[in-house]
Amino acid sequence: MGLTIIFGALGVVNFAHGALYGLGAYAGFVTYEYTDSFVAAMADGAAFLLVVGIIIERGLIRLYYQRPAEDQILVTFGIGIVLVEGLRAIFGGLNRNMPAPSWAAGIVNLHVTLYPTYRIDVLAIVAVALVVLYFVLYRTRLGLIVRAGIEDQLMVNILGINVTRTFLTVFGLGAMAAGLAGVINAPITTVSPDMGADILVQSFVVIVIGGVGSFWGAVVGGLIAGEILAITAMIQPAYSQVMLFAAMALVLILRPQGLFGAEGRQ
Amino acid sequence: MNAPAAVARRFAPEIALVIVLVVLPAILPYIGGTYDIANRILDWGLFGLGFDLLFGFTGLLSFGQAAFYGAGGFVAAYILVAPFTGNAVVALLVGTVAAAIIGVIIGYLSLRRTGIYFAMLTLAFGEMFVFLDFSPLARWTGGENGLSGVPEPHLEFGIFSIDINDPAGLYWLLVVIFVVGFWLARRMIASPFGAVLRAIRENGGRVAAVGHDVPKYKMTVFVIAAAYAGLAGGMLGLLQGYMPPDAFYLDTSGQLVVQTIIGGAGTLIGPLVGAAVWLYLYTLLQNIAGIGALWKMILGIIFVLLVTIFRRGLCGGAVVLWRRLRARPAPAPDAASAGAEPTRTAPESRRSTQRPPPTGPVVLATRNLTKRYGGLTAVDDVSFELREGEIRAVIGPNGAGKSTFFNMLANVIPPTSGTIEFKGDDITGLGATLVCQRGISKSFQINQIFPSLTVRENLRIAVLARTYGKFRASMLRAVDRDAAVNAGIDAAAAAVQLDERLDTPAAELAYGEKRRLEIGLALATRPQILLLDEPTAGMSPAERVDTVRLLRRIASGVTIVIVEHDMDVVFGLADRITVLFNGRKIAEDAPDAIQANPDVRAAYLGSQATHEPA
Amino acid sequence: MSLLEIDAINTYYGEAHALFDVSMRIEPHEVVALLGRNGAGKTTTLKTMMGVMAPKSGAIRFNGQPIGGLPPYKIARMGLQLVPEERRIIGSLTVEENITLAGLSEPKPWPPQRVYEMFPRLGERRRSRGRELSGGEQQMLAIARALVREPQLILLDEPFEGLAPLIVQDLLGICRRLADEGRTIIIVEQNVEAALSLSHRCYILNNGHVVYEGTPRNLRDDPDFMHRHLGI
Repeated sequence: MGLTIIFGALGVVNFAHGALYGLGAYAGFVTYEYTDSFVAAMADGAAFLLVVGIIIERGLIRLYYQRPAEDQILVTFGIGIVLVEGLRAIFGGLNRNMPAPSWAAGIVNLHVTLYPTYRIDVLAIVAVALVVLYFVLYRTRLGLIVRAGIEDQLMVNILGINVTRTFLTVFGLGAMAAGLAGVINAPITTVSPDMGADILVQSFVVIVIGGVGSFWGAVVGGLIAGEILAITAMIQPAYSQVMLFAAMALVLILRPQGLFGAEGRQ
Repeated sequence: MNAPAAVARRFAPEIALVIVLVVLPAILPYIGGTYDIANRILDWGLFGLGFDLLFGFTGLLSFGQAAFYGAGGFVAAYILVAPFTGNAVVALLVGTVAAAIIGVIIGYLSLRRTGIYFAMLTLAFGEMFVFLDFSPLARWTGGENGLSGVPEPHLEFGIFSIDINDPAGLYWLLVVIFVVGFWLARRMIASPFGAVLRAIRENGGRVAAVGHDVPKYKMTVFVIAAAYAGLAGGMLGLLQGYMPPDAFYLDTSGQLVVQTIIGGAGTLIGPLVGAAVWLYLYTLLQNIAGIGALWKMILGIIFVLLVTIFRRGLCGGAVVLWRRLRARPAPAPDAASAGAEPTRTAPESRRSTQRPPPTGPVVLATRNLTKRYGGLTAVDDVSFELREGEIRAVIGPNGAGKSTFFNMLANVIPPTSGTIEFKGDDITGLGATLVCQRGISKSFQINQIFPSLTVRENLRIAVLARTYGKFRASMLRAVDRDAAVNAGIDAAAAAVQLDERLDTPAAELAYGEKRRLEIGLALATRPQILLLDEPTAGMSPAERVDTVRLLRRIASGVTIVIVEHDMDVVFGLADRITVLFNGRKIAEDAPDAIQANPDVRAAYLGSQATHEPA
Repeated sequence: MSLLEIDAINTYYGEAHALFDVSMRIEPHEVVALLGRNGAGKTTTLKTMMGVMAPKSGAIRFNGQPIGGLPPYKIARMGLQLVPEERRIIGSLTVEENITLAGLSEPKPWPPQRVYEMFPRLGERRRSRGRELSGGEQQMLAIARALVREPQLILLDEPFEGLAPLIVQDLLGICRRLADEGRTIIIVEQNVEAALSLSHRCYILNNGHVVYEGTPRNLRDDPDFMHRHLGI
């Protein structure tokens, strides 16, 4: 559903590339941990991922900033494999189900269709999360540093701010967002070690459509992607996923940097 | 060396491969292997040959090769199952071609980007095929169930036919296919086509700047990789009697990548070795209680370690070791380029060059050349004529527009208005690649060379562009035996005095030598006009003097435009000097006249008005 | 003890040798001009001082403390600040945000009000994004940004480049005011007249070597020398 796409946007209003591959793994990772209180699950999931993200960045990723892009991809891919397999080893390969929290169970009558309450709640949670993210980016000091750092890392350094530490935080935040997305998504889909792969691709499609490095781009991209999926699902379900890729291909041909994209890489 | 020994040497890898593969069945029982495992390994190896060409040699990391693997496989399988023919040869061929066609489409879409975006695009399109497989096309592919009922291979070659009905037979079939595929790939790498690919991996921009149509090369290797994948996919169906949907999965693409890295990218054999490691680890670890389920995680850890620390993989590392053992000690770099003696005092008054004033025909002209960036006019209505055989220096204080003007001459950036004419033809906006093909070559201020290639291989790229044009799918001839190319390389090396260093990797050259290689690369395209961007950048005073001498020697037979800040160099070389200031040409004359020109003197000291605000 | 001393430093761009045994000293409260043609190494010198580039050999001391090899943010916190050649305003941030950003790591930064007093134009445009400013306004913001941090030593890299004469006059006035306040400044400029009018002492670089150290007056007394190294 479109909601899933927006999760992609969350995880990927992204700053440090390369975390992408881990995203999928992270999402799966976290969701397994907690099957009790939902709110606690969310909080724990997010926090745990934050820590994991930081560890990984410190330990491994930072060695790669000077390396060519392909190496960065490979190492995050490798980390993804290790994490996914680790999950599989600890929890077994079967799918698990995580029920929606009791306060969100049930069905809502939307007149047009019956809709599970949980999904509406999810929409609400996402909206809140986006608002929080916006707030952090645009109203806090950290957000200021991040926004400046994306544009001109060196100048921020010259102004006396330790940018590498900020990027560490950013990577951690990205991981955290992914974890959150994973937890929230869990009741909708089943939980398995491989659940991340789909999200990975969908979030990438969102970035291509919306453009890199742009908060609004990711949001809009997510919405567009979600709409495409929803509409085509009603008309001809078999083609819905494919249409998404077709849309991505279209954007690539016509406007390679995405709808709101800042950079045009070639 | 006598002929048979020479042949043996050239084909050493193929011979070694054949020996190993022929002997393998005999050893199999002792190492716990079966024909089935061996067949799978060979299939992955075949799949990997194409991928290694794409990634190991050209540097294009694709995570979507499964699309071609599956496509080729399902097309071939469907043909046999339908059945449209009983001839497996036809089925495999059609499958391979189908994969190649899909390769063209996906290549066209994905190659518009590079690096991470390219990787993600291939991944995305690869995933698209999974969905295609499940939904719209399930009728033909069996959806989640795959396509079963693929008959045992019946190969018809016109007159005679072969029936294969056991794993051993399949093994030998695969051996033949793999060895041929390997030989082909090796020839491709040794060909002019392959040389360009390897250079693209190192520095795609420079490859384009010396006149190669890089996008075409990338597309071609992408399609080749797709074809190999398609063939391997077809073979998978035959191997199993069944075509599985997971041929399309991301896992498959990922497994290919991991295997290639473990075995060593850029070795052609790497994927095969990596597949062997993967499959062996799988079978081996399964039987050890406790860690059986962890085999993939262990593999993942090995993979991460390899990428981080030991980047060449198993075969790659072996190759490096082999080369080190065989290498001769490198001769010491030039004395002239080592160290720097700072001169504290400026040299005496400059004498301009004693060359006669240029009187040849105009070879390069700009008319009202202008470049605006938003509100800022970087180059303002500059008209300029260059005569054959001239050495022209373009100078000006900071912000004068020299680099912008120079980059327009080199066709790196298009002008906002105005034209550039080369020997009467309008070349405005053609782009650096085409302009280089026509005869205008540029050397860069910051060295843009191919560090891991030898000097010879570096120069070869430039010479190839001149000899073969911007694209030539010349994949089967050995490039090191091409007399014309070799002659071009030797000439260029001699011109920049690197003929003693031809077999040294460029990364090991001293800075001054690298700078000479930089000029050599531009020279090797045999340009009529050579554009030099600050050739003495970063050089010690001694090196500068040497460079001026070198450039004077090169100047006969080539028209030169040089952008420089070092006035000694300018006066030591130039026949005429064009002075830019605030984007406009304020003077153009012989060096002595320029030196005495009051406008120029004032411009440099900054007492004139400066730019308009942005 | 000089405020800043650089001692026989050699800086490289990759393998390109950009500075050859360059030595300089800057005393408190003086304005020093660093002159030379394009490519002479002036910007490289400032970048080396600020830690943006690390010298391969030689020593840099600020207030007696060695700072060679330290990252820029540490050097900034010790009291150096660079106003770079390209100005490098953060285009997506507003003027006010740029000012705030500069003050984040400074214990007692200038409040925005103080900035607007000195640069009224910036006050008028405080809500505009950096990329919407004119060249002159961006330069003002770049200088303001440095001042926010109350630096002991300001490095000005080509502050007048690409600006209309009127704006240059404005900025010159601001620089004079800063000099009169007793601030220590190194100014790199191709506009030789402007630079000499501001400075107490000057250095000339040519092809990465220091070829002159002295006063503006002595330099002006030898126009041929000036043209040899600064002009043609």
